[in-house]
Amino acid sequence: MGTVFKRDVARALSDATLKTAIDRTTVTAERKRAAALTDYPQFAAARERGTRIKDHVVAHLDHYLLEFERNATASGATVHWAADSEEACRIVLGICRGAGARRVTRSKSMLGEEIGLPHALEAAGIERVETDLAEHIVQLAGETPSHIIWPALHKTREQVSALFKASHRDPHKTEDVEAMVESARRELRDRFLSAEVGISGANFLVADSGAVCTVTNEGNAELTTTPPRVHIVTAGIEKLVPSLAHAFVLLRLLVRSATGADLTQYTTFHCGPKRPGDLDGPQEFHIVLVDNGRSRMLADAGLREMLRCIRCGACMNHCVVYRQIGGHAYGATYPGPMGAVLTPALQGAEKARDLPHACTLNGRCQEVCPVGIPLPALLRGWRDRSWKDGLVPQSVRSGLWLWRFAAERPRLYHLGTAAAVRAMRLFRRGGWIGRMPLAGAWTRYRDFPAPAGRTFMEQLRDRERGR
Amino acid sequence: MSARDAVLGAVKAALGRSRPADPADPAAVAAEALALLADPDAVRPALPGTDAAVAFAARVVSPKVGATLDRVEALADLPGAVRRYLDGQGLPHLLALQPDPALQGLDWAGFELRDAALPDEAAAFGLARWGIAETGSLVFHSGPDTAVLGHFLPLHHIAAVRASTILPHLEDYAAVCGAAPRNANLITGASGTTDIEGSYVRGAHGPRFLHVLLVAD
Ligand code: SF4
Repeated sequence: MGTVFKRDVARALSDATLKTAIDRTTVTAERKRAAALTDYPQFAAARERGTRIKDHVVAHLDHYLLEFERNATASGATVHWAADSEEACRIVLGICRGAGARRVTRSKSMLGEEIGLPHALEAAGIERVETDLAEHIVQLAGETPSHIIWPALHKTREQVSALFKASHRDPHKTEDVEAMVESARRELRDRFLSAEVGISGANFLVADSGAVCTVTNEGNAELTTTPPRVHIVTAGIEKLVPSLAHAFVLLRLLVRSATGADLTQYTTFHCGPKRPGDLDGPQEFHIVLVDNGRSRMLADAGLREMLRCIRCGACMNHCVVYRQIGGHAYGATYPGPMGAVLTPALQGAEKARDLPHACTLNGRCQEVCPVGIPLPALLRGWRDRSWKDGLVPQSVRSGLWLWRFAAERPRLYHLGTAAAVRAMRLFRRGGWIGRMPLAGAWTRYRDFPAPAGRTFMEQLRDRERGR
Repeated sequence: MSARDAVLGAVKAALGRSRPADPADPAAVAAEALALLADPDAVRPALPGTDAAVAFAARVVSPKVGATLDRVEALADLPGAVRRYLDGQGLPHLLALQPDPALQGLDWAGFELRDAALPDEAAAFGLARWGIAETGSLVFHSGPDTAVLGHFLPLHHIAAVRASTILPHLEDYAAVCGAAPRNANLITGASGTTDIEGSYVRGAHGPRFLHVLLVAD
């Protein structure tokens, strides 16, 4: 994976269209989130509360899993358990075969991507219809999502237009985004209503009722889960919340952090199959609870906090590295800072050794995370481990060794960084460094922020002296 | 070993439960969970003013929700308000009507009614059980008198809600909702997407328009 990551990064950095596309969405997302927080002065307190709710659930995960299973079963759902991704896919395919499914609709679920469900369905010869607009775009392009909230963030409108024209039965005639969305609406309409099975993920699993919460702005989750005879939910075991009221505390944080709205347009709680007398809804409701590395994270003090993640995407929207290279360069389901922590945990450190290093440790991700996950510290944890396990390539090791040698000797460190900062100023042009010796791999495709003339420590000292 | 035992066993081991049973005292867990809901005002936005229905009405037409709103005095006025809306949109008096007895008993003379929405239904009309002022949400529970698809298939979603059923905050709904239906749908605006370059477009799969009728009774 190491060299693959470097190659993908190099490709991403040289792709000007990609950078345009990433900026168009992440800049808007950053602005909208900031505006939402201005209207929500309780955010800091809510963040603290949300953190405690997730910590509480994680500390009593066995209790809540059993409570959820009991209540979901009582509501008429069938609860399945899967230790890993293969087992989860096997269960889903088994249910699809049992339902005689030829066509399956799917509402965006990152867990589905994580366990490789799209591929598994195709390999089983089942037609898979992605109903989230972005997932539909990604499917037409034969790609994978590049962001957990906006899977097609890497596509420009021009690229989407070309894809729709090539594959929709009645494509748009004008080049505006409205017309493209309308084209997808026409294309997917009859698909929604003709699938035998609808598959969704879960944003929350409500333990005291056995309900599953999905959130969308398009309304595709409900159109996916209501008409088919069978509804399957795949969910990670960390998605539990004690009750509906706890879910609402987390929803306020999730939606503002993800899109800057206060609540998603469609927030739905699914509990059991269609009841006697109900006018619509599926006859069978299956919930697959997936571990796939989560119990390992639970056992690991350096990773347990990551189980708080509510998959809002804020950390990637605010990450300087993600914004330069995009999601695909991470080569895994989860990109950005949260992905750099999760991927080695899910796939093994040896397969993802570069990811925790693709980070400047500027701390922005932790600042914006609505459940206060100390992402930089968790990333540093992975760096330490891959160091100990000898997974870091020699060139990096010697450089890091030098840094560490100096860092452990504060005087020498300050002397060294002061010299480095002054040396870097020699290459400065208008605040950004375009080229710099020894940093060719970094400055070839992007500018390095030029340091202020003095180090942080020097400035801090000056400030403390009242200058 | 079953996958269930494997997953639960791994979780218990990770949590350091000494014996497989080793029940975390359920009463203690419940008390801890309840304490996490204390002082809800500290973690939710304050409502403008003290009247939830007034706050709801303001919220529904704000850019955050982007719906349109009309007010009527009583349920009996709803057919007239629906006709006004359809006329304003240049739509025929053709409607998928939620089979709620409270609506079906009204005077719909001059309307052609259907009790389930077609895949390309132009307009559907339903009565929400509650409104939530904090977010401007309408809450529907699926059941014998409410189809889920009635809120999602039409291009124009028209929904009435009684002022007396407007709740201040999301937690207030959690307190009154009772046993969970198959689907509890919280609807906050029309269908929208920002999936193409982050630009906001309405009517992705669900309704492009949401029109709320606030009933004063
Ligand atoms: S780590 Fe935090 S900011 Fe990133 S996706 Fe998870 S919850 Fe959101």
